Amino acid sequence: MSETKYLETHEWYIVDGDNVTVGISDYAQGELGDIVFVTLPEVGQEFNKGDAIVEVEATKTVAEAYAPMNCVITEVNSNLETEPELINNDPVGEGWMVKAEIKEMDDSGMSYQQYESFIS
Amino acid sequence: MSESKTTSLYDFHLSKNAKVIDFAGWSMPFSYDGTLKEHHYVRESAGYFDVSHMGRLRLNYSQIEEINYLICSDLKNISNTKALYSIFTSEDGTAIDDVIFWKFEDDLILICNASNTNKIKTHLDIHSINYEDLTMNTDLIAVQGKNAIDIVSNIMSVPNKFSTSKEGKYVYARTGYTGEDGLEVMVDINDTLGFISELEAKGVKPCGLGSRDTLRLEASLPLYGFELTDDISPIEAGLKWTVTNKDEYLGKDVIDHQIESKEHKHLKRFKLNAKQIARTGTICVSDGVEGIVTSGNISPILGYPIGFVLFKSNPADDLVEFDIRGNLIEGNLLYKRFLS
Repeated sequence: MSETKYLETHEWYIVDGDNVTVGISDYAQGELGDIVFVTLPEVGQEFNKGDAIVEVEATKTVAEAYAPMNCVITEVNSNLETEPELINNDPVGEGWMVKAEIKEMDDSGMSYQQYESFIS
Repeated sequence: MSESKTTSLYDFHLSKNAKVIDFAGWSMPFSYDGTLKEHHYVRESAGYFDVSHMGRLRLNYSQIEEINYLICSDLKNISNTKALYSIFTSEDGTAIDDVIFWKFEDDLILICNASNTNKIKTHLDIHSINYEDLTMNTDLIAVQGKNAIDIVSNIMSVPNKFSTSKEGKYVYARTGYTGEDGLEVMVDINDTLGFISELEAKGVKPCGLGSRDTLRLEASLPLYGFELTDDISPIEAGLKWTVTNKDEYLGKDVIDHQIESKEHKHLKRFKLNAKQIARTGTICVSDGVEGIVTSGNISPILGYPIGFVLFKSNPADDLVEFDIRGNLIEGNLLYKRFLS
């Protein structure tokens, strides 16, 4: 498994061979406040880099998580349907959103250090 | 832009790791432990809110006739220890501000929205009503919740609901903005921290403006700037119950005509059976009548999205279709309050 990378739109992703896992950063969940609803995609749905994959409704505002690269959804974290607060409590662990098969590798995300200086 | 104003508790909020936001020109705590947690503190036990950004003006009892002419409610004939929710109306019958009066034997305290304090002061000036602005010398702390009255009764004597009291360093009323019982307490800025430590020692938790908003929405209470504006009358906002002024008052003709004709905008409550929140500005249609959402959020207690929508006229149907980011989402208008 490669290191966790971050996007300027505040998603994180981890590449593992042909697959990628995607969620939103700790900073993003903190900015959104309490997350109350998560709308996940269907398994098999195809996305291009930059497409909105997940919609997150929080008490403060609504946000979308975008695809870090071209991919096809293979698994969604259905626990988020009943426990959206997992994203607040553990954004880069239990709060993962989708797993997908990579169609076109794009590993241009920032390292954690780069992301930290990006948000500060 | 001028610097944001701060209440005397600003450093205290920072010491509590509050998330601070700018609200109506004030730096105010948005949340401490998180909006949902704070919402539940109030519904299940008790919380306190720093609402010192709201304007506090002391008015002379001798000018009660003149004041009564500017509001749609009867302030004159209620007894001297009552608190009154009312609305300053314009000539056109629209809302200049929604406010609370604390009526005492010797004076009146007027509490107005932070965003409207200057507007209200100008309005009072125009009508030659004298006031003393207490906003910067005092704080206003709202203690709200299921157990709030039990807890504060150890600190001060508790008046009846919607009644006022003065005791020692506290001037207060049994009012609130959360749908729960509680007190709103005005206290000199030098005594606020002492009062708050007493509350905290009794387990009352700090709550921010985030939960204040979800609580008031769930309790079906309007917020000026959203459900009430310079363009919306008390009747249109569903606040006909506040129109108790039998005398002549500013905007009376328009308001009387609206009551009689029912030809006016209509504010309605709605709920969605969806995982989308219809937020402020969302467009919708019911029975061919166009509407716009004034406030929307999740109801933490009910677990589904709720809100207020303002229609151009009264829709005959309870089904309503919202355009949420290009998706049409169905909802229902409600004729009762959100929480029973």
